[in-house]
Amino acid sequence: VVEGLALLDLGVSPYSGAIFHETPLIIYLFHFLIEYAELVFMITDVLTAVALYLAIQDFNKVVFKKQKLLIELDKYAPDVAELIQTPMEMHYIPLKVALFYLLNPYTVMSCVAKSTCAINNTVTAFFILATIKGSAFLSAVFLALATYQSLYPLTLFAPALLYLLQRQFIPIKLKNKSFWLYTMQYAALYLCSLLVIICLSFFLLNSWDFIPSVYGFILSVPDLTPNIGLFWYFFAEMFEHFSLFFICVFQINVFFYTIPLSIKLKEHPVFFMFVQIAIISIFKSYPTVGDIALYMAFLPVWSHLYRFLRNIFVLSCVLIVCSLLFPVLWHLWIYAGSANSNFYYAITLTFNIGQILLISDYFYAFLRREYYLTHGLHLTRQDGTEVMLVLK
Amino acid sequence: FQDQAEQFFRSGHTNNWAVLVCTSRFWFNYRHVANTLSVYRSVKRLGIPDSHIVLMLADDMACNPRNPKPATVFSHKNMELNVYGDDVEVDYRSYEVTVENFLRVLTGRIPPSTPRSKRLLSDDRSNILIYMTGHGGNGFLKFQDSEEITNVELADAFEQMWQKRRYNELLFIIDTCQGASMYERFYSPNIMALASSQVGEDSLSHQPDLGIGVHLMDRYTFYVLEFLEEIHPASQTNMNDLFQVCPKSLCVSTPGHRTDLFQRDPQDVLITDFFGSVRKVEITTETISLDSDLAGFESKLLQDEMAAEPLKYAEQLPVAQIIHQKPKQKDWHPPGGFILGLWALIIMVFFKTYGIKHMKHIF
Repeated sequence: VVEGLALLDLGVSPYSGAIFHETPLIIYLFHFLIEYAELVFMITDVLTAVALYLAIQDFNKVVFKKQKLLIELDKYAPDVAELIQTPMEMHYIPLKVALFYLLNPYTVMSCVAKSTCAINNTVTAFFILATIKGSAFLSAVFLALATYQSLYPLTLFAPALLYLLQRQFIPIKLKNKSFWLYTMQYAALYLCSLLVIICLSFFLLNSWDFIPSVYGFILSVPDLTPNIGLFWYFFAEMFEHFSLFFICVFQINVFFYTIPLSIKLKEHPVFFMFVQIAIISIFKSYPTVGDIALYMAFLPVWSHLYRFLRNIFVLSCVLIVCSLLFPVLWHLWIYAGSANSNFYYAITLTFNIGQILLISDYFYAFLRREYYLTHGLHLTRQDGTEVMLVLK
Repeated sequence: FQDQAEQFFRSGHTNNWAVLVCTSRFWFNYRHVANTLSVYRSVKRLGIPDSHIVLMLADDMACNPRNPKPATVFSHKNMELNVYGDDVEVDYRSYEVTVENFLRVLTGRIPPSTPRSKRLLSDDRSNILIYMTGHGGNGFLKFQDSEEITNVELADAFEQMWQKRRYNELLFIIDTCQGASMYERFYSPNIMALASSQVGEDSLSHQPDLGIGVHLMDRYTFYVLEFLEEIHPASQTNMNDLFQVCPKSLCVSTPGHRTDLFQRDPQDVLITDFFGSVRKVEITTETISLDSDLAGFESKLLQDEMAAEPLKYAEQLPVAQIIHQKPKQKDWHPPGGFILGLWALIIMVFFKTYGIKHMKHIF
């Protein structure tokens, strides 16, 4: 950002260099705030935490209401009393979420590093807050902002839509007219705000060259500096004539999980949102630890799934060890010269496997709990033997 | 007496040094070594001793296995003139010719173990001739095919020399492609510079010798040498004649020169002020009595000198003007329309969500 602003002071477009890939609104924001950069990032982190706190508070109320409704409708099996969430244990969850975000070492690191990921997190958190409060307009605006910043929150359109439909009590059937009407409205709001923001950015610099620099950069991944993601090593080894094919494959991988997940998790859009944010932060082209901090902040919301999680020990060990090994192997590779890129790549692989394990574990636990809620805790086959649920 | 004294101190230097650098290696860059050795020969002929010449040759052409006439370096075709001879003293040879060593020689920041022959022991009354040749580009000169020296570094090295009082006047000659770019950045006083070609032009070589198989000389240095052959230690030829050497018809490139940093008029500068080591000795058989009258005269002379030389070592020339830096651009500000549009949008979103009733609280 500093380089982009310096280039602007020299009268040159900031996108003419190969370093600046941020959107024009960031230029505008930092043009006035560049001297107070540390303060800005601290304030964004606080804003994210506050937004998450308010969002989860509201979400708890919604969950509780839904639970009550389902109990009254007798949808739950008789012996699942211990699985039902009580207000007592849910009382501190918003505070825990805010604290999880603020005290996460990843958040601290990304704040110290003054990474613009913090701003992306803030916008996403506000989007979540707006969605859970039920305001379609605001949620479309914030989603447009988040997509404008980094392309991937586009996939959060589906969970937000599902949540808003649920809130309006519109059943999700393909033949239902009001369903399509609402979807069209929301999509129109979203696309219009996105268009307005992009046109506004055009007027900042009077040129469209921010579009290839920002979005072309995210999609085509030209810069292969090692990071904690999976793209760099693969494309560093790739032959030229395959690279287009594999870029398409990798990028589709991010967007691909939306549709199956929306079919499976259409009753639970907020969990879907959580899984989607996690998938974005694992599979995006340039992930940072700030993205991980955002979805880890949600973990206290699903703390009632604790008894169903299977890989807690392995997971926490993998994540902690990999986080600690990242700087060690980086130093060994770049400075000491006694390791090579394969070491660092192995740690990226392991770290991402750990994250994927975390997601799939929570997914499994969530679905298992839902199954138990409707079918009772002690499952038996027809002939009376105990059964175990598996995720196929 | 005053006029004679003035004449005696006309140039202000008491000793001469020469730093001659050839920066290219490999057999096909024979001509650069021949250039440097020719200048070396002329400079020695005009009186500068080996102890006051720092000769840097990046490769050994005379004993190169591809040289059909070993132990010779010819500067003229048909092998008319062997510039290598028996008494060539090369101070920096082969891989010792690096940018670092060159800059250390110029600035005097040399490790204590360096022998005297490798040092530029000039003082504030030395006129130094610096001749460089090789392959160059816009703003740089290539050393040994592996590194470059930029015009900014060179200008800073000369400034260090000025601040350390290592020269009285400096003549810088460069024979490379786009040589004029190398003297663009000088900002220290008392430097005169000549180059064989302007920015954007290439310096061309003169004549190939079919017996040796390579080009023997570069055009600019060839014609400079022809010019220097007519100079003898007592000649009064001045710098303006040197600027006329090698017009475009002979040289194909346009030689350039720079005199704005030089205090004296080039017309008053003798060629031998830089290329030769002329000791100003006046032999007289009369006795001159130095009496107390001289004290008043001395102070007057000092005043004259001071009037003629207003620059002290501590004062510098206005660097920014000389280097012709681009003026700093004004800071960028986002256009007014953008700010207006953005804040209008934000206010619209705010009121859409929270209702118009807040408007009266804000305004």
